[in-house]
Amino acid sequence: MSIVAGCDVGSLTSKAVIMKNGKIIGSAIIRSKPRPADSADAVMNDAVFSAGVSRSEIQYAVGTGYGQEKIPFVDERVSEITCHGRGAHWMLPSVRTVIDIGGQDCKAMRIDRDGQVLKFTANDKCAAGTGRFLEVMARVLGLGLDELGEMSEVAKSPITLASTCTVWAQADVIKYLNSGTAVADIGAGINTAMAGRVAILVNAVDPEPDVLMTGGVAKNTGVRSTLEKLLGVKIKKARKADPQMAGAIGAALLADERINSNKRG
Amino acid sequence: METFLDAATKIQCRSVLDWKKSGKPIVGYTCSYTPPEIFYAAGILPVRMRGIETEGTDIADAYFGSFICSFPKSLLQLAGKKTYSFLDGAVITPGCDSMRRLDECWRTAGKDHEGIVPGFFYYFDVPHKSEAHGFRWFVDELKMLIHAVEKHFGVRITDEGLKNAIRKFNAGRRMLQEIEAMRSQKEVVVSGTEVFAAVIAGAILPRDEYTRHLERWLAELKRRKKSLSKGKIRLMLTGSASDEIHLFQLLEENTGAILVAENLCFGIRSEGNEIEEKGDPVEALAEHYLAQSTCPRMYGRFGERLSYIKDKVKQARVDGVVMQNIRFCDLHAAENALYERHLEPLGVPCLRLEREYGPMVDAGRMKLRLNAFLERIKKADRIIADENESERVDDLPDRKPLEAAR
Repeated sequence: MSIVAGCDVGSLTSKAVIMKNGKIIGSAIIRSKPRPADSADAVMNDAVFSAGVSRSEIQYAVGTGYGQEKIPFVDERVSEITCHGRGAHWMLPSVRTVIDIGGQDCKAMRIDRDGQVLKFTANDKCAAGTGRFLEVMARVLGLGLDELGEMSEVAKSPITLASTCTVWAQADVIKYLNSGTAVADIGAGINTAMAGRVAILVNAVDPEPDVLMTGGVAKNTGVRSTLEKLLGVKIKKARKADPQMAGAIGAALLADERINSNKRG
Repeated sequence: METFLDAATKIQCRSVLDWKKSGKPIVGYTCSYTPPEIFYAAGILPVRMRGIETEGTDIADAYFGSFICSFPKSLLQLAGKKTYSFLDGAVITPGCDSMRRLDECWRTAGKDHEGIVPGFFYYFDVPHKSEAHGFRWFVDELKMLIHAVEKHFGVRITDEGLKNAIRKFNAGRRMLQEIEAMRSQKEVVVSGTEVFAAVIAGAILPRDEYTRHLERWLAELKRRKKSLSKGKIRLMLTGSASDEIHLFQLLEENTGAILVAENLCFGIRSEGNEIEEKGDPVEALAEHYLAQSTCPRMYGRFGERLSYIKDKVKQARVDGVVMQNIRFCDLHAAENALYERHLEPLGVPCLRLEREYGPMVDAGRMKLRLNAFLERIKKADRIIADENESERVDDLPDRKPLEAAR
């Protein structure tokens, strides 16, 4: 019997997954706190509680995410690119291209049949094309993130944003709001701008089907459907688990792998 | 090593300040296409200008456009802050368009900030082609530079003096070649960060002092037994001007990687070959600096640059190539993308990184990409090792190198 954990401390949310013999028995997601160590601690406590085990029963833990260096209790740290590749592969073994959009960055990767990363690219030092962009825009529109995603379905004539810079786009959105443009049209325009930005990255890794989205933004239906149109491929839905958990799941899988290979060797 | 580190991490390093105290002139230059031999022959200390130790570019931003590489901006910033007040001269070269602009921006800044333009301020043109007409043009440019130095500083630069300078510089070049060969061995005893410091120091220290230090250091390296490369991923670094020690430390410290090769404008790329000691010394300099060039500023030489990297990857048993470019460096950004398309199909993993020059403000972002890259290489190794134990033969089809893009 093996109990392992994966802990993904992101810039906006922190996630943890507890696995027993390769099956998820507990998970948690919380809003990240200012100190990564506190986020890691809190989310792990929630996860072990939901799994009905104690922290001391965990035999191996892998940390990932931007706050990985500061997670005190993990046995190993692995980059989120590797973890998302593994997590996506677990969710859908046929996946070859992963689009992960997190709070502060956006990555596209090609993986092989084992979930091993072959090629990746990531946005550089800018909030355009990240979850933060959507969050800021949703707040301006007074919408929840889920609601923002739905705007693409109901919009009649989506606006075109002149800039994908978060600050300028925000000014643009306020201008549209003031001039009485329908919220749905603005929301749809935001989703389109976001998808356009992401499509550039995805094309840089020569995407191959199946394509899967992970990270929080995968839940935004508007971004996903526009991205499908731009890339000309169907983006699969992960039914096995919440796409936002992919990094933590990948980390837990790597932890499980370490335990088993230790047993073997 | 201490002297090297001092020179590599401080603009006003000990040796430069000592030279200044002796009253002899110092001339700064901005590009690997400027032959320091000319200044050596004139009894002047040539110092390669660098942008380290900047904390912002507020002075430079007033003169440069916002879409300009932060390296020349850092140079002007330091000039504005009087860090370069020890210079008696500066030679600006159109290494690239951003560097060319340093000439006019510095002159203009000199009107607003008193005393920041050195007495000898020279624009040294370098052709972008190395064919016969470009070569003749470059020889003329060299002669004009020599003449200008003679006139301004009241010195004579003779052919004998130049030949002597070439010989003196060649001694260091030969030692650097030896060190380079050591880095290609299976067990490498010297880190990339150390070699970086030693190479940068060569562009700063008075040459005779440098040669003495290099001799001593080379002897020490030959005595070293401990392998620094065991179990480590061997990386090559290419791309934009990189003279910040942090970048090398980021790649080597606590990463499980070691740098065994570079193709950078500071470094072995320009110091790796000897200069002809016979015949006309100006032509020998022109031949070396223009014709043996591996900077993407040169037209029609992509094939040579690519094969240099390919050879190096093979020789130094490189596991992965990290290709960086400073933001807005079109030359290296375009070149890196082309290299990647040629190297990935050969099974050479490549990582392209865009960065800002100077203090490593985005170290976290770079580290994430580097770690993911190293994990990719490590995993590939493990699968190959497993295949050798014939456990996972069914994985072979996916292990083929990525197809050539388009």
